[in-house]
Amino acid sequence: MSWRLRFALVAGVSLLVPFAVPQYSLTVIVAALIFSLFAMSLDLIVGYCRLYSFGHAAAYGLGAYCAALILTHLQLPLPIGIALAVLVTVAIAIPIAWVCTRSTGVSFAMLTLAFAQLGYAMLFRFRDITGGSDGVVGIPRPPGPFGIDWFQGRIGYYYLVLACLLGSYLVCRAIVRSNFGAVLAGIRENEAKTVSLGYNTRAYKITTVVLSYGFGGLAGALYAGFAGYASPELFFWLTSGHVLIMVVVGGAGTLIGPMLGALFFVFLEHQLSQVTDLWPLIFGSIFIAFVMFFPQGILGLLRRRHAAA
Amino acid sequence: MPLLECKGLTRQFGALVAVDAVDMQVEPGEIRAVIGPNGAGKSTLFNLITSVLKPNAGEVVFAGENITGFPVYRVAQKGIARTFQRCHIFPALSARENVRLAAQARNARRAGAIADEALEHLRLTRFADMSADMLSHGDQRLLEVAMAIAQRPRLLMLDEPTQGLSLEETDRAVQILKAMLRAGNLSVLLVEHDMEVVFKLADNITVLHRGRVIADGAPAAVKANAEVRRAYLGGSE
Repeated sequence: MSWRLRFALVAGVSLLVPFAVPQYSLTVIVAALIFSLFAMSLDLIVGYCRLYSFGHAAAYGLGAYCAALILTHLQLPLPIGIALAVLVTVAIAIPIAWVCTRSTGVSFAMLTLAFAQLGYAMLFRFRDITGGSDGVVGIPRPPGPFGIDWFQGRIGYYYLVLACLLGSYLVCRAIVRSNFGAVLAGIRENEAKTVSLGYNTRAYKITTVVLSYGFGGLAGALYAGFAGYASPELFFWLTSGHVLIMVVVGGAGTLIGPMLGALFFVFLEHQLSQVTDLWPLIFGSIFIAFVMFFPQGILGLLRRRHAAA
Repeated sequence: MPLLECKGLTRQFGALVAVDAVDMQVEPGEIRAVIGPNGAGKSTLFNLITSVLKPNAGEVVFAGENITGFPVYRVAQKGIARTFQRCHIFPALSARENVRLAAQARNARRAGAIADEALEHLRLTRFADMSADMLSHGDQRLLEVAMAIAQRPRLLMLDEPTQGLSLEETDRAVQILKAMLRAGNLSVLLVEHDMEVVFKLADNITVLHRGRVIADGAPAAVKANAEVRRAYLGGSE
């Protein structure tokens, strides 16, 4: 099956989902799709540059808080508010990426973590704007432009998130398969050689990190509109940890794998958290098992199964 | 005007002067070899020219432009392509992808075609779709040369292209390199340990000893030079 056919199939099935599941499930599904987008955005850094960001919550939190503040204070139409939030996130990401890409390995992880924690701390420092530990509540979904309002309802919002996810996937897929993506593959394999071929690899890494923040910011902005509130935990390092685990368990460097990882964990968490409080323990065990036994992740497992069949 | 000119290049590591006031030129179309015993400063000289290391003194002039201290990627963009003493390739990519990425650095639109041409030149076409780490050591070295020529350089720098190869592999590599160099009308700077290889390939030779140039000239003259024999050939030939 060609990928176009598969993509059309997945998109087609996704369009029918709201009519096939009960309304309350749709809420979990939307949350899972948003997290899929977030995980895919991190994959650009982790899977394609092999830089381990431990602070991707910064992208999510920035997107969410920007959208929250824009939508509550400016009353702009939801799509425009989200787009603006993404732009602001990208603008803030440029200096962050510039600093973080000066290093690699553990220092890169620590720098990204530091920026995310800085954002977290700022939420409490500028309480008047951000609401401190209460966060921003009552985020509206203003209609427009041109009187469009279908995204205000639960099903409509599902389609908005789905469109953003599928669109982002197509863009990311095009990026990693372009000449730009070929250079990223070079950086991943042998950065010194890539430099000596004449590529300014630092510029490529900065661009990738900024792009990644852009898609992560989009996920955060969608979350703000979805949940109706933005809280400091979006910026917290646990969020960064969760999404990194989703990328690794799903299969880094595949775009689709991290999305599967996010879906897997969000649904599992939803099911298990109703039964037991030991959910984080199970989360951790699954992570350890994957790192030890299935380093290619969920997608790698599926592909192997597929190849064997 | 020489294509490449090193003027008084000097590089120290602590008390050791690895490259000591080296003057050297490469004319357009010339194939020049740099030889010398281990620790003579050959690889350091290469790294100074390509800006991997910064010199303590002296300058590198390429095509009339002072490129001393340029970032490494800028040097490559100026038209200097190099291979490394320890083979530098992209192991998980196919041979073609390796060369394509090199070609893309200079000509993104025709990268595929240039890559196939370069593979052809180095007689690697049949391995094109193989993962680079599956190639034999000798073919990996040739692959790195293919990447360098796919950059369409004005100066090609080869750092010990036959190091670690068996006798047969070396013969084959030399044959292929010779055919390629003759066809390409390239300017080449070559570091090589194997004297046979040097005498087969080079127009001119610069001899380094303890970081200094002790002889410079045509192979026959260098071979006959008494100081060179003492320092390097050990009078054994």
